[in-house]
Amino acid sequence: MYRNAPKSAHDPSSNPLDDICPVCKSNRYLNPSLQFLINPECYHKMCSTCVDRIFTSGPSACPVPHCGHTLRKKGFRKAFFTDLHVEREVDIRKRVSEVFNRRQDEFETLLDWNNYLEEVESLVFDLVEGRAADKARAEEKLKEYRDAYREEIEGNRRMGREEVDGERRREKAEREGARVRRLAVAKEAEEEKADVEKGKRELLDRLAKSDGNANAITRQAQKVILKKSSARRNITEDALDSNGSANSGLSIRGLKKKVAPVEEKPYDPFAGVDLTPARYTVQESYDNEWLGNAKKDMRHMAGGYSLQEYYARTMFEAFSGLGVFIEEEVADRGQKGDSSVGTAAAAEASRGEINPGIKMETKGVLSRKCLSIKRSREARREKQAALLFKRKLRC
Amino acid sequence: MAPSSVSEDERYRTSTQYRLWSFTPASLLELRTTTNRNAANRVREAVWRVREARAAASSGNTSEADGGNSRAVSAVPEGEVDCLSVEEELKLVTHFCRQTLQLGDHLQVPTDVKNWTLEQKLMALQATAVQYIKRFYITNSCMTYDPKTLLKTALFFATKTENHYFRLTKFAEAITATKPEEILASEFLLTQGLRFTFDVRHPFRALEGAVMELQAMANGQIPGGDKLRGMGRRVKEAHGKAREYLKTSALLTDVYFHYTPSQIMMASLLIADRQLISLYLGSKLPPGSANATISAKLMEALDKCAEMLQSLDEQSTADKKELGALAKKLRKCRNPEKIDLVSIQRAKREGDEEVDEKVVKKRKLEREQSAKEGEDLFGPTIKK
Repeated sequence: MYRNAPKSAHDPSSNPLDDICPVCKSNRYLNPSLQFLINPECYHKMCSTCVDRIFTSGPSACPVPHCGHTLRKKGFRKAFFTDLHVEREVDIRKRVSEVFNRRQDEFETLLDWNNYLEEVESLVFDLVEGRAADKARAEEKLKEYRDAYREEIEGNRRMGREEVDGERRREKAEREGARVRRLAVAKEAEEEKADVEKGKRELLDRLAKSDGNANAITRQAQKVILKKSSARRNITEDALDSNGSANSGLSIRGLKKKVAPVEEKPYDPFAGVDLTPARYTVQESYDNEWLGNAKKDMRHMAGGYSLQEYYARTMFEAFSGLGVFIEEEVADRGQKGDSSVGTAAAAEASRGEINPGIKMETKGVLSRKCLSIKRSREARREKQAALLFKRKLRC
Repeated sequence: MAPSSVSEDERYRTSTQYRLWSFTPASLLELRTTTNRNAANRVREAVWRVREARAAASSGNTSEADGGNSRAVSAVPEGEVDCLSVEEELKLVTHFCRQTLQLGDHLQVPTDVKNWTLEQKLMALQATAVQYIKRFYITNSCMTYDPKTLLKTALFFATKTENHYFRLTKFAEAITATKPEEILASEFLLTQGLRFTFDVRHPFRALEGAVMELQAMANGQIPGGDKLRGMGRRVKEAHGKAREYLKTSALLTDVYFHYTPSQIMMASLLIADRQLISLYLGSKLPPGSANATISAKLMEALDKCAEMLQSLDEQSTADKKELGALAKKLRKCRNPEKIDLVSIQRAKREGDEEVDEKVVKKRKLEREQSAKEGEDLFGPTIKK
C-alpha cells in the first residue's frame, strides 16, 4: 500500500480546478486573492475570509459537517504541500521526531539502531494511517516515552540545536573568509598593475633623460619589474599559508568530537601465538668450540647464515618435550583405541602387500625433494597445531 | 593428558614421533607380540603352500619343478617350522641396528679436515636409519622381511631424508655385494612400515643446546644459581660422555619410543655427571608449587631412561655365538614367499605395464573415434 499515493480520483487536492472554498464556496475566479488555510487539528481547508469570519470571536467548531473539532484562529496556517495528507504526515513526523530524537552514536550496534528506527517508523505509521484505536495507542506510547525520557530528549534536542548553530556559524565564517580573500586578491591585482605602470613610466623617464644605450636600459628595467613581481608572489604565498593556519585555529563548537581511528596492528600470521620459550632465554652469543670458526669466517656469514637461528633451534630442541611424560600420556591414548590401529597396521603390513606402481628409477621411490617437502609440511602442521592449541587456551 | 602451557612441550606433541611412534613399554611389547604371532602363522601357511606345490610338481613332472621357483623351494626346510620368539627377534633387530651403524661408518668419506657439520650429519643419518629399522620392525617381522637387505634400504632412505644424498649406484658400490635393485625393492615397503612419517627427532642437537647453556653458566654469562668448582671442565667431560651414549645406547635401546629427545639427552647427561645436571635442572625448574611435581616426575623419568641407556652395556656382552645361532634359526623360518623381493616387485611392475598398455590402446581408439565424428557435418554425437 502506498501511503502517499492519492486515495481516489475525487481527491480534492489533485483537482486543479478545485479553487473553491469548501465552506463559503467563494471562487478564485471571483476573488483572486483567495488564500486557503488549514488547522493541524483537523486539516480541513478553508479560505482566510472564512477563518476571519468564524474564529475572530474566539474558538469555535470546525464548519465542516461531522468534524466536531474545536479550532482557534491562532492554529491556522498556510499549507506547505498541496496534498494535505502529506502535510499531515510531515507534521506528525515532526512531532514524533521531537520526542524520539535519539542519535545513532547512542546505540551500541547498528542492529539496535535499526530496530529503534523501525519502531519509530511503525509508530508514525499508526499515527498517520491507523484506525482510532491504533492512533490512541500510539499517542499513549508517545506520551509515555516523552515522560520517561524527558531529560534525555531535552539533551538531544539541545545537542541538535547546537549542531545546527555550529553549522550555521561555520558557514558564516566561511563566507566571511571568502569575502576577505576576494578583496585581498583584488587589492593585490590593483597594486601589481600600478607597479607595472610605475616601472614603465620610470623607464620612459630614464630613456628620455640619460644618454646610455637604450637597449641596456630597457633590459635592466624589465629585470627590475620581474624581480618585484616574483617577490610579491612569494609574499602572497606566505600570507596564504599563514591564513590557512589561522583558519584552522578557528574554534568551532558543537562539532562531534573525532576519535582517532585505532591504529591497525601489523598482520600476525600466527594469530598471536606466543612462541617465546618458557624454559630458557636465548643469549646473544654462546661459546662453542665448533662454532668458533663459523663466527669469524666470512664464508659462513656471507650467505646469510645466522648463528641466532642455530642457537634458537638447539635450545628449543633441548627443552622441547622435557615435560612430556610419554608413559602417562600415551597410556591414555591407548584406551582410545590407538594401539588397535597399530596392530591393524601390523597385520596389514605383515601381509606384505607391496603396492603396485613402484617404478624403478635411479633415485628410488621418493626423491629427496619430495621428502623434504613432506618434512616441511610436517613442520607447518606442527605450527598450525600450536596455533590451534593457543586458541583453545584462550577460550 | 597432563595440562601444560609450555609452548615447547606443545610443539613436541604435534610431531609424528609423539603422535605415532611413542609407546608405553607394555603397549610396545603387545604390538611386537602381535606382529610376531601373525608373522609366524603366515610363515607356517606359506611353507605349507610351498610344500603342497612341490608335492604336486614332483608327482607330475620332476624336471619342471626345478625351473619354476627353485630358489624358494630349496629354502624350505623339512619338518615343523621353528619360528623366532619376540625376544629373539628383538635381539636380531638390535644386532642389525649395530650393523647399520657400522655400515654408516663405512660410508663415511675420509676427509683430512675434521668437518664438524659433516660429522653431525652422518651421525644423524645413521641414527635416522637405525630408528627407521626399529620402527619398521615393530609392525613387521624379521621372518617376513630380511633385516639384512632392509637395513641397506633404510640407510639409503636416511641419506635422502637427512639431506646427505648419495647416488644409488655409488651407494650400492660402497656397500659390497649389493645391487641397486635390491635396495630399491623394499623401499616402498619401508615407507609403508614407517606409516609415511620420515621425521625422526634426535637428541643430538638438543645436547649441543644444553651444553652451550651449561658452558655459558660456567662462564657466568647466565646467572644460574651457585656454580660448581671447575664447571667448565666438567661440562666438557659430560658432553663427551653423553655424546657417546646418544650415539650408541640411545639408538639401540627402545628409549626413542618411551622418552622425548630432550629427556633422552638429559638422561645421558645425568649418567655423565649427576651433580651437574641436578643443579642445572634445579635452576630450570625452581622449586614451586607447579614445578615441584613436574621436577619430581621428571627426575623419575630421567632415572628410568638412564637405566635403560645403561642396560645396553650389559647387553653388548651377549656372545657372538648366540647371534650366530639366531641367524641360523632365522634362515630356517623365513617366509618363503617373501624372500625374493626383487622378483616380486618386478612381477608387480610388469603386471602394471600390461594394464597400462591396455589403457593406452583404449584411449587411442577413443581419440580416433572422436576425430572421425568431429569431421561430420553436424559434429560428434552429444554424450548423454
